[in-house]
This record gives sequence, structure tokens and C-alpha cells, in this order.
Amino acid sequence: MDTLRSGAAAFALACLLTALAAAQSPSGLEVGRKMLMEDNPGELWIDRGKKLFHEKRGPRKASLEQCDFGLGPGKLKGATTHLPRYFADTDKVEDLDSRIVTCMVTLQGFKLEDVKRTAIGRPLTDGSDVEAIAMYVASNSNGMKMDVRLDHPKEREMYKAGQYLFFRRSGQTDFGCVTCHGDPDKRIRLQDLVHMLDKKEIQAVAGSWPAYRGAHGIARTMQWRLYDCFWQMRLPELGYLSDVSIALSTYLNYQGNGGVVKVPGFKR
Amino acid sequence: MKKAIRWTLAAVPLLIAVGCATFPDAQSTRDTAESMIKASFTAPAPHLLKRLDQDRAQQICSKVDQAPLTQEEAAEVVKLARASIEYPKSGKLVGDWKIGAKLAYNGAGDRIQNGRLEKRKENGGLCQNCHGLEAGEINVGNIGPPLTGFGAQRGNSEAVAKYAYEKIYNGWAYFPCSNMPRLGANKHLTLEQITHLVAYLIDPESSLNKK
Amino acid sequence: MSEPMRIRATLQGDVADVRILMRHPMETGQRKDAKGEIIPVHFIQHVLVTHNGRTVLDAQWSQAVSRDPFLGLRVKGAKAGDKIAVTWTDNKGDKRTDEATIAPAS
Repeated sequence: MDTLRSGAAAFALACLLTALAAAQSPSGLEVGRKMLMEDNPGELWIDRGKKLFHEKRGPRKASLEQCDFGLGPGKLKGATTHLPRYFADTDKVEDLDSRIVTCMVTLQGFKLEDVKRTAIGRPLTDGSDVEAIAMYVASNSNGMKMDVRLDHPKEREMYKAGQYLFFRRSGQTDFGCVTCHGDPDKRIRLQDLVHMLDKKEIQAVAGSWPAYRGAHGIARTMQWRLYDCFWQMRLPELGYLSDVSIALSTYLNYQGNGGVVKVPGFKR
Repeated sequence: MKKAIRWTLAAVPLLIAVGCATFPDAQSTRDTAESMIKASFTAPAPHLLKRLDQDRAQQICSKVDQAPLTQEEAAEVVKLARASIEYPKSGKLVGDWKIGAKLAYNGAGDRIQNGRLEKRKENGGLCQNCHGLEAGEINVGNIGPPLTGFGAQRGNSEAVAKYAYEKIYNGWAYFPCSNMPRLGANKHLTLEQITHLVAYLIDPESSLNKK
Repeated sequence: MSEPMRIRATLQGDVADVRILMRHPMETGQRKDAKGEIIPVHFIQHVLVTHNGRTVLDAQWSQAVSRDPFLGLRVKGAKAGDKIAVTWTDNKGDKRTDEATIAPAS
């Protein structure tokens, strides 16, 4: 009887340990996503973006080599870890997309409206030049930590506005960013949702843009991601490079400080 | 010694004012953000821009950093929600569960993209995005609780039908500031559509209630 | 005409870990465009990988392989400085070859 009882106890313990072990080992979904993340096609956009960056283009036949991303003209290493940030030459807080567009206009002579209109590429095409250049520029920060500063009053204004906007609910869905991104362990159908109020979770994604969007087969930046969220929320169209987009990026990237940059990210 | 301390103490407030972080306060943040909204969006028709306006309940439910509601605020949201509920003129709250099933899995309708409003025959219920529905499905959202076997658990009495109808029409009547969209009150769904969803939830023949 | 592949080959002992990213639509021939017409089938049919000119992988692909495919393989008996060449040919007869040199173990 004693041997039976201790045998049963041993069996129960073995079951518990197996269950625990299974809980620790990654799920099939996690393994698959990790495999997709490593060696994802977004790397081909780094190559394309690099070519576009150095090419003499536009009415002024100039390259983007003199573009200042915050650390001085042409200094790319680590530059995107500090974006969005205030730029004196435009007297604005700019994110990666805005800065590329500013330089395409001021250095290369492209028309602002033309660049903005084509900046978000169509799915299943080659995507836009801005998306490729963004991927290349951001890749120069790979391995470094996000480090957004809020020194300038306009940066602080953007941060606070972005925070307010994150929690702002409106429209027929009554959604705000917080609705989907304000709680742990949430999913929409099979898509895991980043809990953006959790330091570790937002750090994990802050450095993952630009990313290759599998369903679209092209590179995407944060500008597109925010636009797509507002689309799904049944709200009007978020303007490319608009104040709302910069405010939200400033808030989220600052919250993600400390997160390691790893582009291209991979999204479904 | 004392003089040095007095000078230092006098200088500290000045140093704080000059050197430390001064972020805009809540009111000016609100004003800034609201004017940013006015300038940051486009829509194919002006009335669609009103989707960005907040009603009183949404304003209450937008607390920064998920600050808790006060009792008064919660009560106000519930009161507004109850007052908003409209019932079908026929008084019939339970429609056709087969139509409801299609609606529950339909996540389309009323989105704005590339200068166009997505107008389909009807707006989808969006249910599957957040709720588990039929038993055995893998791709189930979990922002809301699973609805599998909703009627099997609760029965299909008039009281349950009324509860289900009101939850879908305006769930904030039961749970102020819930993540659940106020599908009826916001006119995303018609009253008739809601009755079909009610049927999908509580009809004993509904596939939602079958094993 | 087609975009360059990205080939990474790093040595692990005497085995080269080779990772290849290709840019290709890999159309299945079952998708319809906005007008409702079938988008013609267009996919990589044949992939050849050589190590210093010697064939190490000769593959027949179908439209089951996804858009912008990734191919990974391990090549035994490799040394730093060896050449890896990858050639793909698609059903339209388009062909592309890219090369990389095996990097030393890091």
C-alpha cells in the first residue's frame, strides 16, 4: 500500500514536471515566428535602400549622403535610436519617414506632395523608395538600444500628446490604442497583440520597425502601421507624417527606450 | 557656513524651474492633441470626420494610464448607456441564428481607405476578432470572453434575450468603459442585425450551442 | 532586371551555414486581381547551389513555395574563401545567378 502511494506520488510529480517543461518550451507558433523573423525578406530592402541612398537622384541630382538624421550629415550609425526628435532646420519633431522626406525635398529637389503621395507602397509591388531607404537607414542602428530623448519642449509636447492620444477612444468602435494594446496576453484571432503599457513588451517591438509585412510582400514603416490601425478602427485616414502620427511615435518609441534595434522586423 | 546654505536654498527653486523637466500639463496637452486631431485626418466626406469627435461617455472612458473611474463617472456612463438603448418596434429580440452566424464571423464594413468608404451590403458584427465562437476553433481572439455555448449555459428565456440584446446594443450599460464597441448605439449594426446575433447566441439550435 | 539575392555563408567548423533570400513573386496562378481575373502563374522552378563549382543542391520547386523565398542549407567540407553560387530559373525562363564567399567562423 505504501509503495503504491509513493508510486502514485512519484507519477504525479513526473506529470507536473512534464507539464511545467511543456509550458517553458516555446509553442509551435513561437518557433515558427522566430524562424520567419530570422532571414526575412526585408533584408532585400536594406540592399535596395542602400542603393537608393547613395544614388544621385531627383531634379538636383544629389544623393542622400548629406542627410542629417540627428547626429550630423551622413552619420547613420545609431541615428534612428533617437527618433523621433526635434530638428532645428525644420523646427519640427520628425520621425524616420519625415526626415527622409525632408531630405528628398531639400537635398534632391523632389516635390513634397509627390513624395508623400507615393511614400506608402502598394502591397505586392516593390514598395516605395521611402520604405526601402528607411529600412537601410534603420539597419545602421542594429544591435543598439532605443534612446529617445525628451529634451526639447516640442519633443515633450509630442510625447504628452501621444500619451493622451493612446488612451483616446472614439468612433463607432469606441476603440483607442489602449483597447487592443492595454492588457497582457491579448490576441485578435491568432495575432498576438503587444501590451504597450508593459515595459518589456514595448521594448521588444520598439526596434522592430521598419519591418517586412508578409501579407503585403513589402517593407513597412511605423507610419503605415499607425495608418492601418486607424483604418481598422473605422476612423478617418491618418495623414502621412501628420502631427498625430509623430505624437504617437514619440510616445511609443520613448516608452520602448532600452529595446534593441533589430531590423528588418517581420510582421504577418 | 549659514550664509552659504541660505544662498543654496534660495537658488534651488530657480534651478528646478530652469533645469528640471517641464512637461505640458493635462489641460494644455488635451488642447494640443485635440487640435492635432483636427489637422491630421482626411475623409471622403466631411461628416465622416465626426467619427473622431468624442461623446461624453468616450471622454470619461479615455483616462490616461487607465486611471480608475470614480463611482460618479461609472454611474454616469451606465446612465447614458441605458438611455441610449433602442428596441425593435416589433418587440421581437430574437431573429434568425443562421444570419447571426454569418454576421458574427464578418469583420468587414465601414472602413475608410484611399479616399473611399468601404460600403458593403451590411456591416459585419466583428465578433470573431475578439471572442471565441464555435467549439474547437483555433484562431480565436481573446480580448473578450469566449461565447462558445452561450445559450447552452444561460438558457434562452426572455430575460437572457434582453440581456444579450442590450450587451450588443450598448455593453457599457453593464460594464462602463468596456472594450466592447457599443455596436447598436453607435449604429455600426442595425437593430435587426442585433436580433440575429442574439439568436446566434441563445437559440438552442444555433451552431454556437452545439457540441 | 530581377533583384539581387542576399547570400550569407558562415563557417561552423568545416560546415558552411548558407542562408539565401530571393526576391520573387511566386504567383500560384490561383489568385485573382481586382478585376477578378487570374494572375498568371510565375514561380521559381529550379534552384541550383554550387560550392566552388560543384553542385551541392539541385532542387525542383513548385508554386507551393512562398513569395520572396528563403533557402537555408549546410555544406560540408567548406573552407573560408570558398565560393557559393546560387542560380534560380523560373517558369517564364528568367534566370538569375548570385555569388558569395564563405566568411570565416566568427
